[in-house]
Amino acid sequence: MSTFRIHIDRTLCSGFGSCAELAPQALEVGADGIAGVLVGETDDPAVLDAASSCPMAAITVEAVEEAA
Amino acid sequence: MRDPTFWILARAAGLTAYVLLTLSILAGLIVRSKPFGKAVRQPTVIDLHRFLALLGLGAISLHGLALVLDSTVKISPAALVVPGLAPYRPLWTALGVLAAELIVLVYVSFALRRRIGARNWRRLHWITYGIFTAATIHGLAAGTDSSRAWAIWLYVGAVGAVGAGTAWRALTSGPAPRPASHSTTRPAIETNQLGGNR
Repeated sequence: MSTFRIHIDRTLCSGFGSCAELAPQALEVGADGIAGVLVGETDDPAVLDAASSCPMAAITVEAVEEAA
Repeated sequence: MRDPTFWILARAAGLTAYVLLTLSILAGLIVRSKPFGKAVRQPTVIDLHRFLALLGLGAISLHGLALVLDSTVKISPAALVVPGLAPYRPLWTALGVLAAELIVLVYVSFALRRRIGARNWRRLHWITYGIFTAATIHGLAAGTDSSRAWAIWLYVGAVGAVGAGTAWRALTSGPAPRPASHSTTRPAIETNQLGGNR
């Protein structure tokens, strides 16, 4: 099973909020209107949808392979 | 007697494309302005925005194909992509060709937004207002049905809705949010990236 590492380019984020609705356990829109990461890594594949739906392409998800 | 099927199809497809384009723009304005708050899910509206644009492109393709197949006005396949080649009201049909090509550009730019840069993608998206203006003028000036009351109301409704949505956006959005600090950003991950261009 893969673990996903999330990175948000906060300089790109425009606060559309789509990511936080798709992966609320991993991402949120802060009081400043910018998305932030709640957990650095997660095994929830919803973060992939969150990244692909971001209009500003501000979210990058890296698959971290776990050692057997 | 001339078969009017393709002529009618061309007119219907053109008007359908205009309606779909208008609805796509309105969905895009909802994504930006969030007038319904949490009652409407952002991912759903983003998908709807893109799907309506894709349907609109399909209707535009049908509009062009039907015009080529119809014999009322001689329009070559080349005239569908080269503005000004169509002999019928060349200036107004050229506007339609240009608008259609720009819609393709804006639609494709979403998938390429990582490559061209999100800021360029956003700048490109502003062209949509020009596209809508060009499509409206094209429909009014080149459309066979433009003098009919229902068609006039359709254009008035579309322009009014996009105008109202834009005014709402201008009044409520303000400047784009900016993070207070960049200190939380980490270097962009270069390898094994997921989540883009899927």
